[in-house]
Amino acid sequence: MLVRKGIFYSGSIFVVLAILYQLGCKLTALLGAAGIAGIAIGFASQTSVSNIISGLFLISEKPFAVGELIKVGDTMGTVLSIDLLSVKLRTFDNQLVRIPNETLIKNQVNNITRFPIRRLDIELGVAYKEDITKVRNVLSDIAANNPYCLDEPEPLIVFKNFGDSALEFLFAIWCVKTDFLKLRNTIMQKIKERFDAEGIEIPFPHRTLYTGSVTSPFPVTVVDEDNKDRKDN
Amino acid sequence: MDIWKPQNIEPDTCLRAQIGPLLFWFKQAKDELHIATERLSETDEHIEAIPPKVVGAVEPKGLDWNRWIVKKLRSIRLIPAMPDRAVVVRTEIPVKIPTGLEAIFFVGIPVWVKVIAGDSEKFDLYEQPIVIRSNTWFGDPISGELCYSLTTRARREILEAEIEPHRCICPVKICNASPTTLEVDKLCIHVEHLKIFEGTKQLWANEVKITYKGEDLAGEIKLRKLIGLILLLLRILLPA
Repeated sequence: MLVRKGIFYSGSIFVVLAILYQLGCKLTALLGAAGIAGIAIGFASQTSVSNIISGLFLISEKPFAVGELIKVGDTMGTVLSIDLLSVKLRTFDNQLVRIPNETLIKNQVNNITRFPIRRLDIELGVAYKEDITKVRNVLSDIAANNPYCLDEPEPLIVFKNFGDSALEFLFAIWCVKTDFLKLRNTIMQKIKERFDAEGIEIPFPHRTLYTGSVTSPFPVTVVDEDNKDRKDN
Repeated sequence: MDIWKPQNIEPDTCLRAQIGPLLFWFKQAKDELHIATERLSETDEHIEAIPPKVVGAVEPKGLDWNRWIVKKLRSIRLIPAMPDRAVVVRTEIPVKIPTGLEAIFFVGIPVWVKVIAGDSEKFDLYEQPIVIRSNTWFGDPISGELCYSLTTRARREILEAEIEPHRCICPVKICNASPTTLEVDKLCIHVEHLKIFEGTKQLWANEVKITYKGEDLAGEIKLRKLIGLILLLLRILLPA
């Protein structure tokens, strides 16, 4: 269809030029104007040509394929098609997103489902009073009993940091890419339930104020409506 | 083993069968066959295999019944089947096999059960694992395959405690034909190519022979036929 249209339009232009020539019009002026128009069109189509060339690079490099889940900036979606000028994505809330190929070549693209398994990283904190060995054992047991969690690669439990309000852990578990959401939902709930059952506290961020000495009471001044100062211990 | 033999089923009677921790309930009503399953805790001792027996006329409540349209039938049958995926099993302790030597390991594979209904014309209704096993990945995170992870170990001898009616013993022979020592830590067995043979109290699979030729060369895997399995069993069971 593209070839047929090309032949039609170029044939029409040829016929018009031939008629003008027969009528005695000077074609040199027309050709000069056409040249200038070509330069103008060339400048205007810079972006389109860049998209086309970017598309060719995307096809040869294959950073993603149709059906894979990718993330470009803040946009995450399944690749519907890889076209000449753009890539079409379908987001989780069923929107169509068109991303120019040039944008994909210039920016970072995360292909989330290229590999068959994925790791779910959960950052969690427990109170300073908790037994670290007990926390590790509980987390290992949760992973072992979750049907979506793979036995190997083994779950990873890393004691990351002595945080401001809690002991910080990284709990990383692996799953088949299609089970990622099911794993996330089930394991988060199970962590909360087990921690509650075992009496392991997940603390809120908090600050403790000291007056300079742990045992001295904190002095408080209460000002009432009549602006009378009262000092209370 | 009577559990794997065809069993008669009369209309409007309820049958109950047990294999390991899995209970089956059957009921035939007109041209329908109703089937339900119930799982007992795996931590309890469930080594019996009870063939389908009549337990009454009323379907027990609280079960998730599945219904199939079948022609009026007189018998049903439970048969063992291999899992639908490869299995990964660890050795009891890592074993090193020097150059030129070989070792036999015995792996207990929990089988699935297939329900077949019908007399002259048989219908494969469905398959279910007797024991639910967790998933594991064999290979690296970029390429590999999804397998079942066995809790039992690959042992150098068959333990009496691990002889169960729902486990199929698979002998795996590993020959080291490479110039370096081979350390065996875990095995991935593609069970879809194995056949199941019924013993007096045990299920058996044909022997798998793996020849390791080195990291740069492709190994060789051979499956022994029935005669080879009989010879192997005689070698194992008869005193030297």
